[in-house]
Amino acid sequence: MKVAVVVQRYGTSINGGAELHARYIAERLARHGEVEVLTTCATDYVTWRNELPPGVEQVNGVSVRRFPVKHERDPQVFGRRQERVFAHRHSIGDELDWLDAEGPTTPALVDHIARHAGEYAFCLFFSYRYYHAFYGARAAADRAILVPTAERDATIGLSIFHPLFRNVRAVMYNSPEERTMIQAVSGNESVAGVVVGVGSDVPANPQPGRFRQKYNVRGPFAVYVGRIDENKGCKELFDFFEGYLQDPHGKLSLVLIGNSLLPIPQHPRIRHLGFLNDADKFDAMAAADVLFMPSYYESLSMVALEAWALGRPVLANGRCDVLKGQCIRSNAGLYYDNAQEFAETLQAIEQNRWLSGTLGRNGRQFFREHYDWPVIERKYLDVFDRIRHAPAARAIEPLPGWLDRRRQDLPAAEEVLAKLPTGPVTGHRQPDGRRWA
Amino acid sequence: MPEFNVRSDSVNVEHIMEQIRARIREKRGVDYTEAQIRELAAVKLEKFLDPRGVRSDLLDQFRKAMPAYEPPVLPNYSFESDTLFESHRGIIRFFRKLFHPLLKLFLFNPNPLIRALNIQAQLNTMYAEREAQRESSRRAMDQLYYELIHNLVLELTRNGIEVKNLKMRVESLSSRLEFNERRARALESAVVYKPSDEERPSRPSPPPAAASPHPAPPTPQPQTSSTQPPQPQPQGGVPPEGPGQRSRRRRRRRGRRGGGPVAGQFGAPGGSPQPAVNATDGSTDAGAETSAAFAAPDPTAASARQAGTGADDFGEDDGPDDDGAPDTGGGEPHGQ
Repeated sequence: MKVAVVVQRYGTSINGGAELHARYIAERLARHGEVEVLTTCATDYVTWRNELPPGVEQVNGVSVRRFPVKHERDPQVFGRRQERVFAHRHSIGDELDWLDAEGPTTPALVDHIARHAGEYAFCLFFSYRYYHAFYGARAAADRAILVPTAERDATIGLSIFHPLFRNVRAVMYNSPEERTMIQAVSGNESVAGVVVGVGSDVPANPQPGRFRQKYNVRGPFAVYVGRIDENKGCKELFDFFEGYLQDPHGKLSLVLIGNSLLPIPQHPRIRHLGFLNDADKFDAMAAADVLFMPSYYESLSMVALEAWALGRPVLANGRCDVLKGQCIRSNAGLYYDNAQEFAETLQAIEQNRWLSGTLGRNGRQFFREHYDWPVIERKYLDVFDRIRHAPAARAIEPLPGWLDRRRQDLPAAEEVLAKLPTGPVTGHRQPDGRRWA
Repeated sequence: MPEFNVRSDSVNVEHIMEQIRARIREKRGVDYTEAQIRELAAVKLEKFLDPRGVRSDLLDQFRKAMPAYEPPVLPNYSFESDTLFESHRGIIRFFRKLFHPLLKLFLFNPNPLIRALNIQAQLNTMYAEREAQRESSRRAMDQLYYELIHNLVLELTRNGIEVKNLKMRVESLSSRLEFNERRARALESAVVYKPSDEERPSRPSPPPAAASPHPAPPTPQPQTSSTQPPQPQPQGGVPPEGPGQRSRRRRRRRGRRGGGPVAGQFGAPGGSPQPAVNATDGSTDAGAETSAAFAAPDPTAASARQAGTGADDFGEDDGPDDDGAPDTGGGEPHGQ
């Protein structure tokens, strides 16, 4: 069995969520069969500049075939087209223009898939919103499996993606909330879909003492791991944490791990350690009392899963349906909607050791049940088995003709998004009887 | 409880979040004292109630943001009967007029076209004027609407704040009323047993033992009940308890057990405990119940004794006063 993993960027130094997800899955599936990664020569997701040589190379034992990007992204053109399709009535042609402007425009990659699709048993397409997934899945629709990594943003309201969700062989969702959202927008209930997510290589014996000694961190602390960016909710986190610091009963410090795009507040109890390697990162999470997850938009928080794997509770932004749903389903984290709830939940975790310990234990159990690598691998292999024996799906709906593409009859993507159901999924069980992940 | 919630016997995240939110709501309610709430309300009222103090130049700013309307200069034309044949060259104009009959004869008659265009030009002018009038009147109405909405918002804000203020005043008054009621009850229970200045000198002296129809009890008891008119008794011989009666009984018990402090509290003016006069033999007994409280008429206790049942038989009430009155005794012995 040969499987193609198609993703926009690939490499050990690329730490984007979907890209890391794809690499983990490729390396794990390589233990069960032949895997080839089809990707671009780009490493920067803003410009899609060709920085790696085209051709085949080996990355951690996995064959990687790179294709050049035809043109870099022009931010002005992309911004203009995005404004049009997100906020105004538009046509399918406008959406296709937006997709071309977004990139990474790699016709060579799509041609390769079209010519060699028969060599692969399945093609796993990561990140529905990019050029490679849209055209690649159309080129190999009868063996396409989509890992959408969809967030609750306006892109999901673009109509060109709805046939994609309906016509692939299977969809591997990251969370029940993502599944609900995609089913609501595209009506793809008939497509095989499994909530899978991704595992993580969490060390069995992290060394919290080593982290404290190495970075001279004393006392209890909360940790944030990830890019320090306003889009990730970090500005709000800083505001709320500064409010918490006014409370004389609170003893927690804040340790920030990751590259910063925001000015860090100057306070003796807020420390920014920059980018750390995996060992230090896991040691820090193991040493922390709680992990903050302030992001508004997530399809799956790998950092939260890693904290749970290490037995640490999570304090998440309650306005992110996925995070809130995960906290509720796992019983392993609290969530906040405003500054007062932030302070109260943080104090509850800080001052009730039994609560903190129980949340952490629940998180560890949740991770083992749903996100341990054997569980993830088995889910993928089960899906392969299911669709191998199922009849092939009908051909993907063709793109409309020249005239229809120019008909300005599509609503603004933001309007479509606003009509989608919100809130965490807190049902008891999945249709197959398993508990939600 | 959903199955996935049963991961620990004691943790349900949704439940915990509900508790946390309830705690936040509680904190919001009790964080401020009444004075602080009044202060905040006063600040808000001062800030919002005076429309001149708050965005008084809003309308001016709105007018500045929207400059006076000037109707746009739209392209128009006038079309007369000779417009078609006009030219700045006189000779050409002459020949065009000259060949006009030939045009009408061999090609087409331009007169209907000229008439139609003439009418159209007039219509255009008329509509442009009307549109300009409409636009200017609409803009004037916009300003009026804006002013109206602004005033409405101001009034609503003022009313909302006033309602909040009134709510707080009602809450404050109700709490004061409740406090006053409790205070009145407490004072009532204390005043009943406090002899007035006129009563103290004319306090009836204990009658001689021979005058009593019953033999004197072993413990010295003032026989003042015999001087009082008989009171009606409830069925079963159990008198109803009046306010403060239970605490009165307790004080009496304490007095019997050697309670000097209670006697001192209700004793003669001056506050110092007076030596008691034994009702039977006239001797003084510091431990006897000789307080002014017992000198005052106590029909309930007397009638209870007459019924052959001591007041103490209705229960040893060592718990707190259940009449809600504050403890006015002030001198309760410790350890009771």
